[in-house]
Amino acid sequence: MIFVTVGMHTKGFDRLLKKMDEIAAASDEEVVMQIGHTSFRPQNAKWFDFTTESGIKEWCKKARVVVTQPAMSVLDAQEQGTPVVVVPRLKQYDEVIDDHQLDFARELEKQGKVIAVYDVDKLEEALKQVDLKPLELVKDKRLVNALKKYIAQFEGARRLK
Amino acid sequence: MLALKEAFEGHETFFITYDSIRTRQLERKYLLRNIGTNPLVMAQAFMSTVIILLREKPKLIVSTGSEIAIPAFYLAKLLGIKTIFIESWTRVDRPTGTGKIVYPVSDVFLVQWERLLSKYGKKARYEGAIL
Repeated sequence: MIFVTVGMHTKGFDRLLKKMDEIAAASDEEVVMQIGHTSFRPQNAKWFDFTTESGIKEWCKKARVVVTQPAMSVLDAQEQGTPVVVVPRLKQYDEVIDDHQLDFARELEKQGKVIAVYDVDKLEEALKQVDLKPLELVKDKRLVNALKKYIAQFEGARRLK
Repeated sequence: MLALKEAFEGHETFFITYDSIRTRQLERKYLLRNIGTNPLVMAQAFMSTVIILLREKPKLIVSTGSEIAIPAFYLAKLLGIKTIFIESWTRVDRPTGTGKIVYPVSDVFLVQWERLLSKYGKKARYEGAIL
């Protein structure tokens, strides 16, 4: 099963969902889509607009591959050990306010965390070739530790007052 | 933010966030309308946030954005509450509008990509990313 998720974004992502609907029509593999604020309604795939945190995680876990925008949903999928294909939302299609997702997709791709597809016409091929070795989830503890450090500092400063 | 929840263990916490099917499941929360670029909703968010901060009296506010951080951080400055802003993991080269607006009033300002440091002032730091 392929799970497509476009998150909570206030803009739709018609370009991706239309392409995935086409792919679903031509494939034997089930496609499930979380469409968010997208106005397009898939014809060949099961879809819903939003679900809960645990709902998203469950779909990500069941899926062979998750197709999403390069955003926090990448984390949801990787936490479930599912390979991720990202398609950046682009400003030129009014899918997002700037092209930061393009920068982010390139970086994640460089780090080997995702497969990035910049042209939706190449999506079908990419989905066939998803290398199924699960990506190793490396959770960076530095940020959590930095936060703990600042919290302790603020607490210490308060006690001295 | 939930990906960082380990950092807050042992501390009493509450959320101010946007209302959605996902956030409704949080335990202790205040849910506001999505602000986006609507000035009227931003004004409402300021009003709601004043009431929340006076009631809850937090010692520290931590935010990963988005615009909902703006009222909280400016009011925190007035009320003497410490603040930590964490720029989005998705921002490699381009700062967010919210990041630029709250930068001057943040006590701690973190980015999740080293490259983004050059787009902010001296206060900004890179101390790792969530993944």
